[in-house]
Amino acid sequence: MSDKIVSLTNGVEGLFIKNDRFNTTSISYNFYLPLKEETVAKNALLPFILTASSKEFPDFSALNLKLNKLYGARLDASAEKYGDCQLLRMRISVINDRFTFDSDSLVRSASDMLLGLIFEPNVENNAFTEEDIQREKRKAIEHIKGEMAEKRIYAKNRLISEMYKGDAYGISKCGTVLQVEEITGEALYEAWVNMLKTAFVRVQVIGESLPPRFFESVAERFSEIERENITDHRLCKPTAPAKKVKTVFEKMDIQQGKLVLGFSSDMYGDDDASLPLMVMCDIFGGGPYSRLFTNVREKMSLCYYCAAGSVRYKGLLTVDSGVEWQNADKAIEAILNQLEIMQKGEFTDFEFESSIKSICDSLKGHYDSQNGIDLWYALKINNNNLYSPEDIIEKIKLITREDVIYAAKGVKLHTIFKLLPKEGPIC
Amino acid sequence: MLKEVFENEIGESYAKCVLDCGLKVFICEKPLYNSAYAIFGTKYASIDNVFSVNGERVEVPEGIAHFLEHKLFESEDGDAFTRYAKTGAYANAFTSFDKTCYIFNCSSNFEENLDILLDFVQSPYFTAATVQKEQGIIGQEIRMYDDSPAWRVMFNMLFAMYHSHPVRIDIAGTVESIAQIDDKLLYKCYETFYNPQNMFLCITGNVNTEKILKTLETAIKPKESIELTRIMPTEPDTVLNPYVEQALEVALPMFCFGYKENAQTKPTIKERICTAVLLEMVVGDASPLYKRLTNEGLINDEFSFEYFNGDGYSAVIFEGESKNPKKVAEEIKAEINRLKEEGLSKKLFNAIRSGLYGNAIRSFNSVESITMGLVDCAMNDTGLFDEIKYLKKITVDDVYKRLALLNDDCTVLSVITPKEK
Repeated sequence: MSDKIVSLTNGVEGLFIKNDRFNTTSISYNFYLPLKEETVAKNALLPFILTASSKEFPDFSALNLKLNKLYGARLDASAEKYGDCQLLRMRISVINDRFTFDSDSLVRSASDMLLGLIFEPNVENNAFTEEDIQREKRKAIEHIKGEMAEKRIYAKNRLISEMYKGDAYGISKCGTVLQVEEITGEALYEAWVNMLKTAFVRVQVIGESLPPRFFESVAERFSEIERENITDHRLCKPTAPAKKVKTVFEKMDIQQGKLVLGFSSDMYGDDDASLPLMVMCDIFGGGPYSRLFTNVREKMSLCYYCAAGSVRYKGLLTVDSGVEWQNADKAIEAILNQLEIMQKGEFTDFEFESSIKSICDSLKGHYDSQNGIDLWYALKINNNNLYSPEDIIEKIKLITREDVIYAAKGVKLHTIFKLLPKEGPIC
Repeated sequence: MLKEVFENEIGESYAKCVLDCGLKVFICEKPLYNSAYAIFGTKYASIDNVFSVNGERVEVPEGIAHFLEHKLFESEDGDAFTRYAKTGAYANAFTSFDKTCYIFNCSSNFEENLDILLDFVQSPYFTAATVQKEQGIIGQEIRMYDDSPAWRVMFNMLFAMYHSHPVRIDIAGTVESIAQIDDKLLYKCYETFYNPQNMFLCITGNVNTEKILKTLETAIKPKESIELTRIMPTEPDTVLNPYVEQALEVALPMFCFGYKENAQTKPTIKERICTAVLLEMVVGDASPLYKRLTNEGLINDEFSFEYFNGDGYSAVIFEGESKNPKKVAEEIKAEINRLKEEGLSKKLFNAIRSGLYGNAIRSFNSVESITMGLVDCAMNDTGLFDEIKYLKKITVDDVYKRLALLNDDCTVLSVITPKEK
């Protein structure tokens, strides 16, 4: 496996990961932009509108027909939060040329198609067309509203917005319904120009080989643009401890309550700064050997799930659980009790070793997923070094119990969010 | 032991073996991969509530197969998760309508993990106390699904589609039905269905077939063969109720629209592939109907469809979110009737066939999807390369014939509406 970053032009990087095990080649464009209230909704719409039509394929149906003809080439779009940045991703993957008898290279056709979608959208008079904009706005609004259907995700998002009020990280990744409603074809065109001009960009290829002159043609496209005020993709304000723990609740007509606890962590930042927090979080509430699973679920039978997760870059740790409202306070007490055990170092050697083994095993498995490895490098952009999963395995193996205890001691309860059934108590 | 090796032109191969004890074993070696994915499963799940074993008729509570899956992780000297924790593997299990599967996925210590999997699935240990504890956890799981509109919209549809086939009941049962489960009933089900003759082992990844077969020689405990009959009620061709609705906390209505098929005979692999092509042609993202529904604001990216079938049940299902689910259902019906009259487009057929051919090749990227493909082979007596083979062979006329199975009089529309504030 060779992984070397090449600089293509101002703020545009290329990365080719050679991997012979897949039947497909994957090409992704990753645009990093600052997370801001005034631009979040417009930016979030871009990957979707750009992958729905273009100058060459003004009709999404014709585009989808072409993808079928390219032997089911898959086009994916997403808009995610990454630290205090927005990550806009557009990716195509296609089966390798050796599986077809076509004279044209499939990989070349797919890579040309994606480049065309990003650089030559279906625009008229410096505006996206009305038909495209109305369709994508409707879908975005339905997506935002639809979030409440899955209560676990809804509750987690509500915690983040409460915990980071006034902070970029508290902004919803797709913006609000109101923000989407206000988007015009002209405004979105401006956002597209801004993305090409100012985003930090990483173009990644994973597969058997790099198409001929691939990075050269990407560099040529970007060099036609006046690239300026390039986004600092390391933008990320660490989570400050709460002066006073905040508890927020909301009621819904549901059977089972959802409980989400948000914690700040003194340990934050890139892999060199924060790996012990990964191990701490895993022992606390990761696998079935974790403190929360074995105690809160198995011994106390309080819930079907009770799991911890972390956003190390931001210094954020969360615990989420589905519980009966009568048991919510008991569950909070049990979760905090387990945190105290972590802080006192009273977790067992078995738990510690199990966690290290599980993390390393899963990291090694990353190489077997093309999307997984692509996402790995897109999300490691904040690191000073381009660490591979193998590199991180070596670092994880060096982590000691003391490192974990140190990480745990910096974890402090910040905000509690409760989603309660209507028949439950006031709070 | 019977062993066969299959290879195909895209460079993949796998072995199929039937051990003397009756266990079916499928292994696909992927030497370039780091990981391995294994499933030890049984042809037993939520639809097996009434059966006859060695002449004795047995009726068990709804949700018992799922309950058994949870309990099998425990043994007298600790649980399987604790044993896996020593190797670092990821372990899980699931119960569907017709199969229960125990899974591990690992990048190291494969042999040790395989030993754990084979051992705990063959070592039941149930007591009154452990059964009672699980009733609490599964009760929570059931209540979680009660709040899940995506789950409810599907089960409400099956409940309205089937008069008596047990596919209409919830996989996890109800809080009341699982209260009737005790250790004796669990043992009864275990002894009936967890017999190697009724089970399969499917493995993909960086593994060695001969080594695995050697391990199995001693690790699989042979059992006396039993006379097992699954007792299924007679299911009419009609649906019980063409429309069903429930109000839940959602912003936009959700729907599940299904065509019930006569399921007296199981569809062949060729028929399944033709149906997959047909559904793409009716309302896949390159179809005229998909374009119309999108442009009219009637569907979004949540829209999907599937061909759902098993022992005694078969249905074509469309689901998604819509401001007007009734209109979506009408449009699908109208399009199917139009295609019945006007025929299918050859141009679209060729494009869809290429797309699905590419997807079939893509599926060999993932050790998980290959293993699930092997499970399908074990359940339905098919071959892993059948899809690629038939996608090359089928004609637009073969696909057209599948349209006849979609009958306007056998549909159910299930809708989840937003609660009134």
